[in-house]
Amino acid sequence: MAETEAGAIIQVKSLNSFYGQRRVLQDISFEVPAGKVTVIMGVSGCGKSTLLRHLIGLKPTDPGQIFVEGRDLAGFDARQMEAFRKRIGVLFQAGALFNSMSVRDNIAVPLRVHTRLAEPTISIMVRIKLHQVGLTRFGDYMPSQLSGGMRKRAGLARALAMDPEMLFVDEPSSGLDPITAAGLDDLILELREAMGMTLIVVTHELESAFRIADQLIVLDQGRVLAAGMPESIRESRDERVVQFLTRRADERTRDQEGYLSDLLTGGRKVGVHP
Amino acid sequence: MEGLLLDVLSGLGRWTLGHVRGTGRAGIFLMHGVRGVFRKPKKFRAILGHVHFIGTKSFFVIGFTAAFTGMVLGLQGYYTLSKFGSEGLLGAAVALSLIRELGPVLSALMVTGRAGSAICAEIGIMRIEEQIDALECMAIDPHAYLIAPRFVASLVAMPLLTAFFDVVGIAGGYLVGVSLLGVNPGAYLDGMQKSVEWLDVYMGLVKSFIFAMLFIWICTYKGYFAGVDRGSFGPEDVGRATTDAVVVSSVAILVSDYVVTSLLL
Ligand SMILES: Nc1ncnc2c1ncn2[C@@H]1O[C@H](COP(=O)(O)OP(=O)(O)OP(=O)(O)O)[C@@H](O)[C@H]1O
Ligand SMILES: [Mg+2]
Repeated sequence: MAETEAGAIIQVKSLNSFYGQRRVLQDISFEVPAGKVTVIMGVSGCGKSTLLRHLIGLKPTDPGQIFVEGRDLAGFDARQMEAFRKRIGVLFQAGALFNSMSVRDNIAVPLRVHTRLAEPTISIMVRIKLHQVGLTRFGDYMPSQLSGGMRKRAGLARALAMDPEMLFVDEPSSGLDPITAAGLDDLILELREAMGMTLIVVTHELESAFRIADQLIVLDQGRVLAAGMPESIRESRDERVVQFLTRRADERTRDQEGYLSDLLTGGRKVGVHP
Repeated sequence: MEGLLLDVLSGLGRWTLGHVRGTGRAGIFLMHGVRGVFRKPKKFRAILGHVHFIGTKSFFVIGFTAAFTGMVLGLQGYYTLSKFGSEGLLGAAVALSLIRELGPVLSALMVTGRAGSAICAEIGIMRIEEQIDALECMAIDPHAYLIAPRFVASLVAMPLLTAFFDVVGIAGGYLVGVSLLGVNPGAYLDGMQKSVEWLDVYMGLVKSFIFAMLFIWICTYKGYFAGVDRGSFGPEDVGRATTDAVVVSSVAILVSDYVVTSLLL
C-alpha cells in the first residue's frame, strides 16, 4: 500500500459499512488510480459488492470516507451525483437487465435518455456494444431467454453504452467458460488501453485477476487483507494471503483440470514462498 | 410488571414511528412521482404503453363486471320500486347508482385487482433485481422514468374505464328491467335523462380521478419499497408488497369514496 499514486480518481479512507447493527466493512482504505485496472478479490460474502455499492453512491456513506477527485461523495447533492453517474458505468452482480425489454432496448436506454441521437445511430452503437461483448446475434432476445453468463455480458454492454470514464464491474466472468472469460479479460484490457478507462473489477477468478490487474485488493471478512501490485501480492509472505491464494486452488478440487492448471500457474508460484 | 409496561410502550412507539416514517416516505414518493411527470426523459410512448396495460387490457373485466352489476341493479331496483308501484323510475335508479357510486368504485377495485397487483409486482421485481439501482447508476431518475408515466396513464385510463362501466351497466339494467321484466323502455330512458344531472356525472368523474391517483400511488409505492424496510430483497418481499398494495388500495378507495361523497353532497 506504499504507492500514493498522483492520479488517484477515487480515494477510500477508513470506510466502515453496516447492515443494521452488523458491520460488514471495517476500516477500508485504498486509492483507485485513474486509467488503471483495480481488482477487488475476496471470498464470497466478504463485502465486495457492498464496497462497490458505496463507491457508486447507492449505499449511503458517512462523510469523510469516500472522495471522488478529492470531493466527498457523502456531500454530493442531487446534481453532483447525477454528474458523477453520467461518468460511470456499472455492471451489477446479477446483470440487473430490465426484463420487460429486449437486450437491444436495454442497451439503448441510456442512449435514448441522455442523447438526442437518431434511432439509426443508436441502433449502430448498440450493435457495436453487442459485438464487443460477443452477443452480436442476441439483440432481439429478452433477458429471460439468455443464460446467466450472457446476461452478464449484456449488462456489460449496457454499462459501456455511454462510453463511461469509470467502469465498475461485479464478477463479469462468473458463470462463463474459460474462453469467453478470457475474451472478457481482453475486452477489459482493451478498454483501459484504447479509452484510458478506469476500471474497478470484482472477481473470483485468480488467473483473470492476475492477468488484468494493475492493482489488487484482497478483502477478508470486511477488511483489506492485502493491497498492491499483483506481483507483490503473489509474492506476499503474509500467511493469510498465501492461505487465501492457495485456498482458492483447493476449492477447485472438483474440477480436476482447473485444479491442475492452478497448481502449474498461480498455485505453485505462491508455494515458492512458504 | 414495569418491564412489561416498558415493552408495550416501546413497541407502541416503534409501531407509531414506523407508520409515521412510512407515511412521510409515501408522501415524498408521491411528490417525486408528480414532479417526474415534468422532467426528462420524454415519456409519451411509455404512457401509451401503460394506458394500454391499465386501460385496454382491463376492458373485458370491466365490461363483464359492469354488465352483471347493471343487471343485478335492474333486478333489485325493480323488486324495490314495484313495491311502491314506481317501476318507471328504474332507469333513474340504475343510472344514478352507477354514475355516482358503483361505476367509479367498482372500476377502481377491478383495476386495482387486475393492473395494480401486476404493476406492484413488476416494480417490486425491479427493486429486488437491482434494476432500480441500475437506473440510478445511469443517472436516470426512476421516479421520472418508471413512476411518472404510470401516474399519467392511470389518470387517463381510469375515467374512461369508469365511463365505459357506466354505459355497460346501464345497458345491463335495461336488459333486465325492460327486456326481461317488462318495464316501459321509454320510461327507463326518459327517467334516466330527467334525473341524471351534471353534478352526478361530475361527482363520478372526480371520484374516478381520485381513485386512479390513490391506486397507482399505493401500488407503485409498495413495489418501489418492496423489502427495503426489512433490508432483504427476496421474492417473498414482492409477494408481500403485492398483497399489501391490493388490500391498502382497496381500503383507501372505499374510505375515500365515503369522504368524497360527503364532501360533494
Ligand atoms: N441487504 C443486506 N442486508 C443485510 N446484510 C447484507 C445485505 N447484503 C449483504 N449483506 C451481508 O453483507 C456481507 C457482504 O455481502 P456482499 O454482497 O458485499 O458480499 P460479496 O463479497 O459481494 O459476496 P459474493 O462474492 O458472494 O457476491 C454478507 O455477509 C451479507 O450477509
Ligand atoms: Mg457480490
